[in-house]
Amino acid sequence: MNAGAQGKHWTDADGLHIDVRGLAPPGPLVAIVALIESIGGGVTPVIVHHERDPVMLYGELAERGWTVERIDGAPGEVRLKLRKVGSDSTFRNGQG
Amino acid sequence: MKEAAAGKSSLTPIFPAMAGSRLLRPSIPFRFFGAAVIFHVGAWIALFIGADATPRFAGGLGWPLVVLHFVTLGVLAMSAIGASLQLLPVATRRSVGSERWPAAIWWLYTPGVAMTALGMGTGAVTALAAGAVAVVAALGIYAALLARNLVGAKGMPVVVAHGWAALASLAIVLATALALAGAYAGAPTLDRATVIGLHVVFAAYGFMGMLALGLSYILVPMYALSAAPAERPAWASFALAVLALLLAGAAALDFAPVALRTAAAAAGLASVALHLHLMTTALRTGMRRHLGRSFTLVRVAWAMLVASLLLALALVFDAPVDGLATSFGVVVIGGWLLTFLLGILQRIVPFLASMHAGQVGTRGRGLPPTPSALTAARPLAIHFACHLAALALLALAVAVDSALAIRAAAALGTAGALAFGAFFAAAMRRMRRPQAPAGTAAMPGS
Repeated sequence: MNAGAQGKHWTDADGLHIDVRGLAPPGPLVAIVALIESIGGGVTPVIVHHERDPVMLYGELAERGWTVERIDGAPGEVRLKLRKVGSDSTFRNGQG
Repeated sequence: MKEAAAGKSSLTPIFPAMAGSRLLRPSIPFRFFGAAVIFHVGAWIALFIGADATPRFAGGLGWPLVVLHFVTLGVLAMSAIGASLQLLPVATRRSVGSERWPAAIWWLYTPGVAMTALGMGTGAVTALAAGAVAVVAALGIYAALLARNLVGAKGMPVVVAHGWAALASLAIVLATALALAGAYAGAPTLDRATVIGLHVVFAAYGFMGMLALGLSYILVPMYALSAAPAERPAWASFALAVLALLLAGAAALDFAPVALRTAAAAAGLASVALHLHLMTTALRTGMRRHLGRSFTLVRVAWAMLVASLLLALALVFDAPVDGLATSFGVVVIGGWLLTFLLGILQRIVPFLASMHAGQVGTRGRGLPPTPSALTAARPLAIHFACHLAALALLALAVAVDSALAIRAAAALGTAGALAFGAFFAAAMRRMRRPQAPAGTAAMPGS
């Protein structure tokens, strides 16, 4: 787990998680873009734990060929699943 | 689980989280931006018409006053309303509420600006006064929406503080605007020089300036993909900017005007130095280094902001330069605010259009276009060259008192404004275009 300006990262069965709650804008945007750029063209889904609807993120994701799906999260949390377009939707633990 | 996810991925739009978000529907911000694009063209045409009176313009009714208000009300404030109603709720995490009010503002404000400006150009004071009442009413509603959004804002306190300063400045601008319109209609209330002094300072540096500085703390790091600017220098810059406004306001009320105006310009320069340090740090350290022509315009605008404060100092000390007051107006309105806005707008429009095209995608039509697919490089390149050349020629024309050079600048500016309009129209057209099915769309890499 890696805390700080890049958010908290960890890997789980459903993908690579990043928690950007508490970061001052545009910290969450920068942390998420940095993460997906580090993955490159990989098939690993990214699960984002956010505290707001990151409307400014979507254009950056689109430019990089990533799609977004809103999934259930804790109360008050905005949880998103990001996938590279054309990648397999499955993720086996340890792949990423 | 696998099937469900795979099934969703073929139909799920790229921006599903936007349902129920704080974004307004696209017709709200884009109607403000669209009107700004038209007033932008109108401003350069009005400059051509009023070329003879422009180089030594020193206030009063006429076409130079139309140019000034087409730019300030029609382009700058129009875009600021659209951008702030869209962006501030994202920053403050409070929604605008009913979309009827932003729509009502546009319907009141747009004809009000046209009527005010044409009243100024033709000397029809009834039209001027009626237009001014509509504009003041519309901006009053906008101020109420802005205040409601800023009250109880969560997060981004520096941006919120700039919003409050802009709002307080807007109140002064509206009061002085009514006083000036009343004077033109034969009902003077306050000393004209005092009112104009307050109106100019709080419109340019207060309302527009504080919005530009505040929204820069969101927009510049966002586009540069850099960390949030350091809070302490941002607060110091804000405090110095507010001090500069208060000093300039007191000077306009004739309290030790030379000393206070000098102190205001010094405080303004210190504020700008801190702000630009934060902005250039964001650009230098960001993940995206090449921001193209849009940020070349932004950098030019920042240089013009500094130049405007130096020209303000020259005005305080009555520097023996012909046309100094007009040059100051060209630099502060055209050089700083307009250039900054046009640089930022050419980034915001494709971004917002892409997000809204994503909302269209929720109907299952596939992937939305990317921001880069919604921009139009050639019109923006033409605009870039024409805009900078027009401003340079305009400054030269004022310096040498040449109406012919003003007309040449106006022609170049009109060409640039039309090119900017072509860029905007392309973004709107492409936003509405049917989208390619998910999984088959070509998505450019970063």
